Amino acid sequence: MPIDAKVVHDVAALSRLRVDPSDEARFVTELKSILSYVEQLQALDVSGIEPTSQVGAGTVTPLREDQVKPCDVREEALAQAPDRDGDYFRVPQVV
Amino acid sequence: MTPGARADETAESIGREVASRKRSAVEVARSYLERADRSAKRLSTYLHRDAERTLADAASVDARIASGETLGPLAGVPIALKDNLCTRGIPTTCGSRILEGYLPPYDAHVVERLREAGAVFTGKTNCDEFAMGSSTENSAYFPTRNPWDLERVPGGSSGGSAATVAALEAPVALGSDTGGSVRQPAAFCGVFGLKPTYGAVSRYGLVAFASSLDQIGPFARTARDAALLYNAICGRDERDMTSRAEAVPVPLEEVERGVKGMKLGIPRDLIGEGVDPEILASLDRVAKALADEGAEVLDVTLPHARYSIATYYLIAPAEASSNLARYDGVRYGFRAKNETDLQGMYAATRGKGFGREVRRRILLGTYALSAGYYDAYYLRAMKVRTLIRKDFDEALARADAILLPTTPTPPFKIGEKVDDPLAMYLNDVFSVPASLAGAPALSFPAGMTRSALPIGLQLVGRPFDEAKLFRIARTWERRNPDALRVPPIAVGGGG
Repeated sequence: MPIDAKVVHDVAALSRLRVDPSDEARFVTELKSILSYVEQLQALDVSGIEPTSQVGAGTVTPLREDQVKPCDVREEALAQAPDRDGDYFRVPQVV
Repeated sequence: MTPGARADETAESIGREVASRKRSAVEVARSYLERADRSAKRLSTYLHRDAERTLADAASVDARIASGETLGPLAGVPIALKDNLCTRGIPTTCGSRILEGYLPPYDAHVVERLREAGAVFTGKTNCDEFAMGSSTENSAYFPTRNPWDLERVPGGSSGGSAATVAALEAPVALGSDTGGSVRQPAAFCGVFGLKPTYGAVSRYGLVAFASSLDQIGPFARTARDAALLYNAICGRDERDMTSRAEAVPVPLEEVERGVKGMKLGIPRDLIGEGVDPEILASLDRVAKALADEGAEVLDVTLPHARYSIATYYLIAPAEASSNLARYDGVRYGFRAKNETDLQGMYAATRGKGFGREVRRRILLGTYALSAGYYDAYYLRAMKVRTLIRKDFDEALARADAILLPTTPTPPFKIGEKVDDPLAMYLNDVFSVPASLAGAPALSFPAGMTRSALPIGLQLVGRPFDEAKLFRIARTWERRNPDALRVPPIAVGGGG
């Protein structure tokens, strides 16, 4: 499906990203140009090729003991809150 | 004599002088702060500096030494940190508005390690927002300038770190490299820049961009300094499950071992057309010099490497779109005002808090991962990544290291590519392949163009064989009459 204003709008909604209507046209042009460049990958035969999601180091999962460790940063972390209510992060109404 | 830091000074020499108490860490810190005071504003190298804190850190290093504590070779050495490395209680913005004013409650692993080693931090350096860019023009705050020509970009995304080292504002610095963000600015600024093997350095506390590619790496003005800084940060850390114990320090004696008997492959098929002739001439000159030193130069092929940019610009944005989901305005950083419901607050915060390049990559990544496109884009890109990796495996079975340009051109002008994302992306054509392969890669200074702009060449090695990259670059450096050269802004009056 070609990139158009509706696709940009839909993908922006999936991304939780408000796109200014005045920016939409430019995103359409830029994404089209990038996607037409990556189109070259379609020419390669990748049948039977395993995907690489991570190299070497990422392919094993080292385990460690599950130990309780102190992490006394509650106040420091909460101090970063844009809006706070005691020991809680406050957000606009959910429902 | 030039006031402030000296051009012939290295991290190594500073560490030696501080350890033997010939100079205090405070004296050293003061000389670099003075240097930065004179050029940092014009170059826009830093997002955050705090002279008092830097001097206090230095004083505590002096106190540790006075109390008889034995610190490593980096004791008292000033080090600049890219602003995507978390520093406890010190602003960490990643060059983004969405993290304006953010004070991390913890230090990154590399920051912890360097603190223990007695390093002194000069500040947080400017970068492209969330490390997305090749020019440092995507910083939400201001662009950084190239110390060799203030009208040109320093490269990116770690442009502030590269420029601050080139301008003698710090002897060494850390950056991060996802598709070339240490190597390309190192090349543009005429310094050494290493992207370690994937898994060599813990990313705990590095703000994530594309997790299957991100690595932290050093900038330095000598090969030995680059090795010293790599040695101080490499190895296993249980807080990053990809970090590996195979990554071990490289002794400086090893760095001096030369290249006799080494095989050096040149991928002529990838280098192809469109490369600046002065960079090609430099490649030939370096290859010949290394052959004179006893290396065997041979041709290798990387037939799929030319698909690297297309592969990278699907994989990296896909991972970024996921990693950057955490910036929602709830727990820290910027939150858009006057939104009455939660979803609206998320969308407005992200829409206003992220710059254009970051928004573009989030959209691209979300698109590549979305239902109906996953197979055609993301899955296919991961398969092509396998082909690229295998090319490197085969080439590096024949050669100890691969030699190629770091960039196709010398540094470009500020504003030249900023409105053409694809042209900007194509600047990474030689750095992205090693990132996809997870291989270590080192950019080293290889002369200057006729118009006095730095040229960088790149060495790519086998996983966890950083040692050979340092050896090769050191061999060239020993023969290079331009070693330790400094840009005009760092000479004489400087300001």
